[in-house]
Amino acid sequence: MAALYSRSRLKLLLRSALHLSNRTLTGSGGKFDYDLLVIGGGSGGLACSKEAAQLGQKVAVLDYVEPSVRGTKWGLGGTCVNVGCIPKKLMHQAALLGSAVKDAQKYGWQIPQPVSHDWATLAESVQNYVKSLNWGHRVQLQDRKVKYMNMKGSLVDDHTVRCLSSRGKEMTVTARNILIATGGRPKYPTHVPGALEFGISSDDLFWLKETPGKTLVVGASYVGLECAGFLTGIGLEATVMVRSIALRGFDQQMSRLVTDYMQGYGTRFCWDCVPKKVEKLPSGLLQVTWTDSRTGQDHQDTFNSVLWAVGRAPETGTLNLQQVGVELDGDTRKVMVADDERTSVPNIYAIGDIAQGRPELTPTAIHAGKLLARRLAGLSSQLMDYSNVPTTVFTPLEYGCVGLSEEEAERRYGKDKIEVYHAFYKPLEFTVAERDSSQCYIKVVCERDGDQKVVGLHFTGLNAGEVTQGFALSLRCGLSYAQLRDSVGIHPTCAEELTKIYITKRSGLDATVTGC
Amino acid sequence: MATRLLARRIWSVTVKDFRRLPVTVSASSSYSSSLTHSPRPQPLLSRSHSLPLISYRGVSFNVQDQDDFTERVINSDLPVVIDFHAQWCGPCKILGPRLEKAIAKQKGRVTMAKVDIDEHTDLAIEYGVSAVPTVIAMRGGDVIDQFVGIKDEDQLDSFVKKLIGQ
Repeated sequence: MAALYSRSRLKLLLRSALHLSNRTLTGSGGKFDYDLLVIGGGSGGLACSKEAAQLGQKVAVLDYVEPSVRGTKWGLGGTCVNVGCIPKKLMHQAALLGSAVKDAQKYGWQIPQPVSHDWATLAESVQNYVKSLNWGHRVQLQDRKVKYMNMKGSLVDDHTVRCLSSRGKEMTVTARNILIATGGRPKYPTHVPGALEFGISSDDLFWLKETPGKTLVVGASYVGLECAGFLTGIGLEATVMVRSIALRGFDQQMSRLVTDYMQGYGTRFCWDCVPKKVEKLPSGLLQVTWTDSRTGQDHQDTFNSVLWAVGRAPETGTLNLQQVGVELDGDTRKVMVADDERTSVPNIYAIGDIAQGRPELTPTAIHAGKLLARRLAGLSSQLMDYSNVPTTVFTPLEYGCVGLSEEEAERRYGKDKIEVYHAFYKPLEFTVAERDSSQCYIKVVCERDGDQKVVGLHFTGLNAGEVTQGFALSLRCGLSYAQLRDSVGIHPTCAEELTKIYITKRSGLDATVTGC
Repeated sequence: MATRLLARRIWSVTVKDFRRLPVTVSASSSYSSSLTHSPRPQPLLSRSHSLPLISYRGVSFNVQDQDDFTERVINSDLPVVIDFHAQWCGPCKILGPRLEKAIAKQKGRVTMAKVDIDEHTDLAIEYGVSAVPTVIAMRGGDVIDQFVGIKDEDQLDSFVKKLIGQ
């Protein structure tokens, strides 16, 4: 009898403990309009809202796209769906198919050359697909019972959000928890005369109805290189203007291989150059003046389009964050977050591109969003693990990587404490096609002692994303060089070269390997 | 959804000619309290009342807004085929003309309403449209039949005939 009594007391205590941990089964219990209000309908925001709704929370999503400087706007889904990953990959595929058509002749196909490309056809197909995704997301929100509002949100206080529609309709909404997932937008170099008036950004490129023509891409981030890459691939003249280095933050040896390949592919590079001004000529062409910082000389050339790929800025301007007490990072102006995505205001969270120190990637935003939803529902305490996140740069020669760059590994462990295995390989597909494989390369960075745990893995070649995905998983499971060497490859593939890797940088030997 | 459809029909009919129509609605409790104009109880929404409805014989039309949909689709004399489509949908562009042809064959016994789901998202969501093309057969405001995706001419002919009641 006494035991029963104490057990029911325990149950009562547990139940009230659960109450305290934000869990509601029947909605917000009247105090707030919603359990969770998400500002931003992109990768992170949508994932979190759908998961939270599925776990019984009352959720609303605000999504609003401020038109670009050029006036481009798009539907629900965020950067990835509309002006990022999806259209990028489709256009990259268009370019790859162009190369395939060129190779095809050597494989016996009777294709009359030269083959030409029509931008309008590509653009329409890509844009139609993106619009179908906008609709798909809309349906998903409906199915999961998430309230969707095409309105711009700004914080009034830590539980209240003001919503504004494009037609000026205003309303106020309250929520127990608020998630900021508004992402980022491309930066414009406003100090360059003509930049705003005549240049475009990645926000506009994928929505152009007419071909961008001869394009100057300013910036050698992955955005700049990927865009210049596919523009070259579909037959347009593309130039990349680089201020200092390409692919900042990535392994620099790999970055050089990527840009070397692109130069061979036909993309022009202006190294150590900065744009000075952009003017429009009577012909309609854009005249760009730039300075070569090595010589101090100015140069000029004309282009049909100028694409600014000089970085992305967080969308915090109109959220009214600081007045509510949400702290931003001094340099980046991104929202400061703790390990559990919490901002400086206890019930306000931030995930995705808007959050300081997070990778600007869709899968991490999605995963973090789902885990956050589970924590908010009181069902889990699992935090997002942002280490060893794999990624791929979809340049004409793709570059996939996971873990540390060689430079970072040297910094953390010391050059003496790491062993770098590497190989230059030739994809079988390149042989008959007589393609140059000088930049097809693999690098595995390991701890020098013991089993030689793998801390970084890098791959340039075909289908780099597909190749890297599986190895990234093994890295998370604690892959060692011993295990890598012990695994059996699939033949004939490029990926198998990773299982055969044995030449160290330290040995100084020629790292070119052959297939069979 | 049925309740909402019922309520819709009552609302639009009331707006048009409230003096002649019944207002006591047992099925739709949320509306009954506001519709206390006429005291005369009559069979609900019987078609024998002369309501100022416009009938479009043998013509397909683009739905303009919610009111237009209520007037020309829900309250249509004729059976209606509703074609939910999108600008970005390839198969819709193939199905559209085929549907028009099947409708035209019936020489005015059925009409077709075209709804662009991006322009009329709420309407599409209300009718549970997830993929396009989604085609709904409606008679007297009730959903009789529906299908998703492309159909060939024979299938469309039998779909339309079934709606008319042949």
